[in-house]
Amino acid sequence: MTTLEPTKPALGWATASRIAWRELRASYAKFLFVILSVAIGVAALTGVRGLSEAFKRTLMTQARSIMAGDLSARMFRQLTPKEAQQLDSLDMQGVQRTDATELVSMASSATDPVPLLVSLKAVDPAAYPFYGSVLLDPAGDFRSVLTDHTAIVGPDLLYRLKLHIGDTLRIGNTTLTIAAVVAREPDRMSSTMGLGPRVFITRHALENSGLLQQGSRAGERFLFRLAPNAPNVQKVRSRLEAILPEAQVQDFRQANPGLTRGLDNATGILSMICLVAMVLGAIGVAMAMRAHLAQRMDILAVMKSIGARSSDILRIYVLQTTLLGLTGGLLGVVLGIGVEKLLPHVLGLLLPITVATYLPIRAGLAGLLTGLLTTLLFCLPPLLDIRNVKPNLVFRRLVDEGASAAKMSFSARWKEHRAQWISVVIIVAGLCVIAWGLSDSWIVATWFTGGLGAILLFILAMTAGLLKLLRMLLDKTRLSLPSFLRHGLANLYRPGNQSKAVLSALGVGVMLILSVFLMQRSMIRDMQVTLGTGVPNIFLIDISTDELPGVRKLVAAQPGVIGAMEALPIINGRLTQLDGVDAQTRKDEKHFPRHLLQSTVLTWSDTVPNGAKVKEGAWWGPHAHGQVAVEQDLAKRLGLHLGSTVAFSVNDQLIPVKVAALIRNDGEHVNARSEFVLSRDALAGLPTVWYGAIHVAPAQVGRVQAALFAAFPTVTVINIADVIETIQSVVRQITFVIRFLAGFSILAGVVILASSVASTRFRRIREVVVLKTLGARRSRIAGIFAVEFIMLGSLAGLVGTVFANLLSSQLLRRMDVTFHGAWLADLIGILGTGLLAVATGWLASLRILGQRPLEVLREE
Amino acid sequence: MIEVRGVRKSIRNGSRTVDILKGIDIVVPSGQFVAIMGASGSGKSTLLGLLAGLDAPSSGEVLLDGIDISRLDEDRLAEIRGKKLGFVFQSYQLIPTLTALENVLLPHELNAHGDGKPHARELLTSVGLGDRLTHYPVQLSGGEQQRVALARAFMLNPPIVLADEPTGNLDSVNGQHVLDLLLSRNRDAGTTLVLVTHDPVVAALAHRRIVLRDGTVVADEVQA
Repeated sequence: MTTLEPTKPALGWATASRIAWRELRASYAKFLFVILSVAIGVAALTGVRGLSEAFKRTLMTQARSIMAGDLSARMFRQLTPKEAQQLDSLDMQGVQRTDATELVSMASSATDPVPLLVSLKAVDPAAYPFYGSVLLDPAGDFRSVLTDHTAIVGPDLLYRLKLHIGDTLRIGNTTLTIAAVVAREPDRMSSTMGLGPRVFITRHALENSGLLQQGSRAGERFLFRLAPNAPNVQKVRSRLEAILPEAQVQDFRQANPGLTRGLDNATGILSMICLVAMVLGAIGVAMAMRAHLAQRMDILAVMKSIGARSSDILRIYVLQTTLLGLTGGLLGVVLGIGVEKLLPHVLGLLLPITVATYLPIRAGLAGLLTGLLTTLLFCLPPLLDIRNVKPNLVFRRLVDEGASAAKMSFSARWKEHRAQWISVVIIVAGLCVIAWGLSDSWIVATWFTGGLGAILLFILAMTAGLLKLLRMLLDKTRLSLPSFLRHGLANLYRPGNQSKAVLSALGVGVMLILSVFLMQRSMIRDMQVTLGTGVPNIFLIDISTDELPGVRKLVAAQPGVIGAMEALPIINGRLTQLDGVDAQTRKDEKHFPRHLLQSTVLTWSDTVPNGAKVKEGAWWGPHAHGQVAVEQDLAKRLGLHLGSTVAFSVNDQLIPVKVAALIRNDGEHVNARSEFVLSRDALAGLPTVWYGAIHVAPAQVGRVQAALFAAFPTVTVINIADVIETIQSVVRQITFVIRFLAGFSILAGVVILASSVASTRFRRIREVVVLKTLGARRSRIAGIFAVEFIMLGSLAGLVGTVFANLLSSQLLRRMDVTFHGAWLADLIGILGTGLLAVATGWLASLRILGQRPLEVLREE
Repeated sequence: MIEVRGVRKSIRNGSRTVDILKGIDIVVPSGQFVAIMGASGSGKSTLLGLLAGLDAPSSGEVLLDGIDISRLDEDRLAEIRGKKLGFVFQSYQLIPTLTALENVLLPHELNAHGDGKPHARELLTSVGLGDRLTHYPVQLSGGEQQRVALARAFMLNPPIVLADEPTGNLDSVNGQHVLDLLLSRNRDAGTTLVLVTHDPVVAALAHRRIVLRDGTVVADEVQA
């Protein structure tokens, strides 16, 4: 009876490591590209997340300074006497308070009558800020420099109004002397986002200006500092929330939740862009590993013929892949520190505070782990191919290569490639998990994985199609083409060339960058097109009822004003009840518009306002009582329908109304500001300011602004062109950041190209030897290579450009923005990628051109 | 005419220097068929590479029709190779992305003017591959590939043909066919033929047999 031999033990880890390491050391030049592929994505990710971590840490450590207090409460109306009394009583408990009023206004210089929109902040310099300090230029004490007769301004105001320190500034009814420039405002991030340069004045100066009137939309920020004997933060916070139920109350422990939330969202999105670069890098690693294993085929066959199992060999190459992933990841983390330091310069003014950068340990670990995981995931398919290497390949490799091309049934193909299909599923699932880990959202992760997978598949399909088309054209025309062109194009199909993968990787990078550019361009163009139409381009804010007839008359007399002025009465209130239920009880519902509980803009109209369309119900007649028309989408969010009852509070007065109509605004007229239009009677007698809207020929805007400011200095005039300019500059900055990060994808594509050239190095060298033997000069050989690389790059550019136009047009359509193509950018995308490919390819092939052929062969 | 004067070739292999050729002096008159023999590592393929200018001697000179090619730059060498030499490699070395016709046409496109296609077709027909013009190397057998390589080497009617073990990868039938083509070129066109081989049967067909051992010429005999 034959006894079974005991099972052979697996190849030891130590032996496997030794083999893996020696192989790596022997081909270190080849693996340099692999390491670089991994490092690029990891560097981008580490940089982004490192900066985000540093930003949050800065928010935490500087929380009190950023708030300028221990607690703050923000409202968009002035205190009632009762509220003021209640807040004053807190002082006796050790809770100090100082108020800051923030509003937009107009300011002008003596020399230039055209006023400038500014962000005004009125403070008590004796108390403000409770924490941090306002830095001035020239250096000085804020408390003594800011007086009732002076203003401290942002540097951009001096530039735009062509003023200097010591000049005067007219604000409302008062004139102040510019005493200094504000170099740093500690709580700028916590302030209301304003349009225009910052101007500090005292509270007394604000009163003198006449800008504040009942009903004005000034933002009131109440800052609190707790003395040692004061109640704890939470107790004071609860008290404030009770005194000011409609105010937004925060304390320093939250470190600006709105900003933190925004930062997390931005970090998540930017991390996804970095993940694209990482995925491309991992694809590059997989390609290099596949080429490496293909070259090692004979050795693998020999190993199997002397008894090694597939698992033994797999162990060696999994170790190798892990080592490469780790090395690339570590290099990426080091480079990421540099990216983290560079990003603040790229972000520019989008970053409102100076961030102290730390060693990004958490971000580095996340980057390293992500890099390693994506590398291992994408190398699964080529590693699994090791199982298919048969020992007899040592003798019959050429024969077997031909045999595998025979046709197989679907089930046979499935059986043969089952492991590959399963590895693809694992890759997709793994990528989804990684994306979730980076974005903290399953929805984002799923969309990202699905989207990227679909794009890669489509791009691969398109590149395969293009290459096939090119081959068909080449086959039909080859002998009529010049020899170098024919040879260069034919090289795209060189055995071992990974043209499809290189084209796809480069194409994705081009697609990303061009998509962002096209979307930015279209959004900005769309905004500018709006200016040119007949819709209002100048808005007048805070016109008092007494001023209204005078403003109308002045506007009508101005040249360049087209049509009559639209005017909208505005009453500030807040939402209190919905169908008899206290609205506060619904504030935690999903999509509930919580801001209405603090501040609601109400208006009245006897007829359907300009630009509004009644979608349901009917407008009321001249003697209507207690009716309201609600914007359709808002009604849906609030659960309102025709006949629902709503109550508002205005100056402690309850205003109950019934929903008579649901409307939709076109967003281009002044009444677009109000989502609730009431019947006149409901708001009669309440403090009212007016908003106006006029359409002025662009060339006359300055004159109209100057005339209005001269006659009505307390009326704020907003030129939509200025607003759009501000938004455009923010959009440009944001898209610059995105394009900077998308550039890492291009870099990954370039590395893949270089790696592909390196992996076919030996074939190229042999080809060069043959060509030189046949009499080809270096310029001829360089020309052949140039054709190959230009074609590769230009095709990648073409694929990327086509998809960029498709993707951005679809995304813009969903955003209701008109897509504007950019043929010049498309051309630069195609040609630029071609030139980049030529430069990369030549650099990677430089050495083999100048030397004697056999010298190079010997060195290889 | 080919002249080799005091040629030495050494290479660095890691930390040590290996002397492949240790002083070779040969003159090959025009029209002669020379077989260079020797065991593996004797330096015969290296010598052939030096004759083609694919490598540079460490010392000494190589002259082709009176021109010293030892110190010329690559472009000038390429020009001379194009005009004076045809080279046949042991492993065919066809460009895999070009068809048989395009491979044969290549020397003409690199070095001559006019339409070389008729001559290329004629050459391929003469080597028995008139029906394989549009086939890629991967679609041809070893013998067929070597015949394409021969046709390529003959394209510009070079006065000198160098062949490095041209039948080494072929079976006896194909090998004989290739040899016959080389011999007929030498016989009928007066082409100087220098052929590296380790096969004494092939060497016996040559006018002259040079034997190398350890980098030196140990025998140089004219055969009847």
